[in-house]
Amino acid sequence: MTARVAIVGIGQTALTTAADDRQYHEHDFEAARLALADAGLDRGDLDTVICSGWDAVDGRTISDMHTAMSAGGYLKDSSHVGEDGIMALAYAYMRLTAGLFDVALVSAHGHAESSFETVSNVVFDPLFTRPLGQSHLVSLALQANAYLQRYGLSEEQASAVVVKNRDNGAGNPRAHLQQSVGMEEVLASDPVCYPLRALHCPPQSVGGVAIVFASEDAARRISDKPVWISGISWAIDSYDLGSKEISRLGSLATAAGKAYRMAGISDPVKDLDLAEVHDITAFHELMAYEALGMAPEGGAARLVEDGATALGGALPVNPSGGVLCANPYGAAGLIRAAEAAQQLRGDAGQRQVPGARRALAHGMSAPSGAAARTDCVLILEGG
Amino acid sequence: MPRRVAIVAAAPTRTSSHRTDVTYPELVYEAVSAALEQAGLQAADIDAVTYGSMDPFDGVFAPERWNVEACAGAGAAHRPLMKITTGGTTGGSTALAGYYHVASGLFDVVLAVASQRVGETLEAQLVLNTAIEPIYERWLGAGAITIAALQAVRHFWRYGTTEEDLALISVKNYENARRNPNAHLMRMLTAQDALNTRLVSWPLRLSDCCPSSDGACAIIFASEERARQIAERPAWVIGAGQITDNYWVGDRVWYEDWDSLSMLARRVYRQAKIQDPLAELDVAELYNAFTIQEIIEYEALGFCEKGKGAELIRRGVTTMQGQLPVCPSGGVLCTNPIGASGLIRVAEAALQVMGKADDRQVPGVKKALAHSWGAAIGFHTLMLLSSEAP
Repeated sequence: MTARVAIVGIGQTALTTAADDRQYHEHDFEAARLALADAGLDRGDLDTVICSGWDAVDGRTISDMHTAMSAGGYLKDSSHVGEDGIMALAYAYMRLTAGLFDVALVSAHGHAESSFETVSNVVFDPLFTRPLGQSHLVSLALQANAYLQRYGLSEEQASAVVVKNRDNGAGNPRAHLQQSVGMEEVLASDPVCYPLRALHCPPQSVGGVAIVFASEDAARRISDKPVWISGISWAIDSYDLGSKEISRLGSLATAAGKAYRMAGISDPVKDLDLAEVHDITAFHELMAYEALGMAPEGGAARLVEDGATALGGALPVNPSGGVLCANPYGAAGLIRAAEAAQQLRGDAGQRQVPGARRALAHGMSAPSGAAARTDCVLILEGG
Repeated sequence: MPRRVAIVAAAPTRTSSHRTDVTYPELVYEAVSAALEQAGLQAADIDAVTYGSMDPFDGVFAPERWNVEACAGAGAAHRPLMKITTGGTTGGSTALAGYYHVASGLFDVVLAVASQRVGETLEAQLVLNTAIEPIYERWLGAGAITIAALQAVRHFWRYGTTEEDLALISVKNYENARRNPNAHLMRMLTAQDALNTRLVSWPLRLSDCCPSSDGACAIIFASEERARQIAERPAWVIGAGQITDNYWVGDRVWYEDWDSLSMLARRVYRQAKIQDPLAELDVAELYNAFTIQEIIEYEALGFCEKGKGAELIRRGVTTMQGQLPVCPSGGVLCTNPIGASGLIRVAEAALQVMGKADDRQVPGVKKALAHSWGAAIGFHTLMLLSSEAP
């Protein structure tokens, strides 16, 4: 039996197109200050800090030299994951459950200094796939197409996810895109890489997020609304797109199965009140429903058609508007956890799911789109 | 109290300036398969993986993706994998992450892998320069060598350390590396040879500086129950930690002392109940990328008083025959696959405790210390291993 850990502070910056007056680590700084203020703590109360980010995207070697300071890590026992911030959360969780630390802060930033799409080509091996122009988006499009072909999905069915999430994003004051879009607009948006159209894909956003965690005793002392982590698991997928079934999100299904077991969840649609999933494209939100056991294989589009995953439905998915409304690469996964925790505290404003007690947060850490993507699944519970 | 955790296998690969005989996944597979074989485990026995490398030196972004199947088939099996990057401390941080995976109670058997192909880099110092603060400090050209030279200049000025002292450090490490089949530089070096090598950044000469290496390393961590089943003599983790100093090179005034390392050492010694490290430790694997750093590390780690580091090497205290052998492997000075070097320090310390260090074995090792530094000399990791469970 592992010790209990809770979220006791959340800090999110606004998410925007560009921040010319900032360096990347300044997003971590603002988010960390907000998270500490939210928890009512001081930098001196932190025992350990875990930062996250990709040097190749930040354009610096050892980018955590800067973020560790900005996130309050000076002279502390701090570390850094070369992943989305959701994996910094996973690491901090282990540090706390090991019993050596009581209070941890994790931070993540997205900074549009370089094109993620261009940099992602360098993830692919230099011998076979890199020369083909393989990239984050191209690999996601291959996956979307495989899913579309396998189940005879229509373009309208995938586009309905965009309409739902953009509607939700319109109620999120921190979202990058806060305008609703209609079905015709999605279907008329520019083709990017078949079958993906521009509005099926997320923007590239800048901004930061930080979360403060505490072990059980400290959490009760710090917060009157702690959000407990009752399930956590993460898994990586194969790298070679040619030797796996890409129409399914295998690593997400594996991680979800383990997180559900840990949290005692047997029927996610019934047992969960909301989910924040990493909708890296509209198609991937549908694929995620199936991997998360919310719909049978090929049955995800029905959930959207029935309004089951809209605000007010049986299981609202991405009440924040999701990644389709704000995508700071490297922070978008950790933001899912922040948004889910805010729902459980009843702090989600216009997008609040009434009476939410148990939520799922899914963050993807994937510098390379579909190739060797990592999925982390959290089950969170309100006090 | 955290769960007890031990290292049950440790496997550094052969290294050279460019391992052109293998692809990147093959290099990683070489380390992982050797570790599995040493532990008598199958790929399916691995519960989770931690992976360290500094991508900018590899010319591949996120190489753990390309190498995922080489890590005991982690991708095909949908295992948990976590990527760690913290500059020169990457390998040490990867070991710490592996330790916490097991200590947390979430996993029982965890593979820690680190790799680097500095041979793919045109010039490592140019890459390192991008780490330095971009507005005021980067254009000065600071990199690892120039910062180490600042440490040496200050140490010479403040404590009277000399170029001859640095040469003694080179001679000791080169001699040790000749007994380590995985070392990169394996040649005879006399003090006179060292003093005759060319100046790189005054007062550091070529023999004071590490090479650029291709190499990888794998370690297996296990919970107490599994460790006792797997290994006859596991290396128990009795202390571990890391520390992060500020990022401004100009904000660190005392280049002759490594105060952040002293602070970390005090924390880790307290965990491990070490009072007198020189007397209680049997071997230390230090991150001595430059000769002067080994001397400063002696002081920061409390092997001697501040300013007396050079005396330890003059008296031979840290040679293979001395009271506390430092870097029986030849250290980072003779082998530096950057992101893997910290994990190699932990692996070498573990091999010493497990009695598997072959020709470089120090007899009867009970306690071993592994260190790494990184960033603009602002990061450190330490791991203390023991033949006895804590």
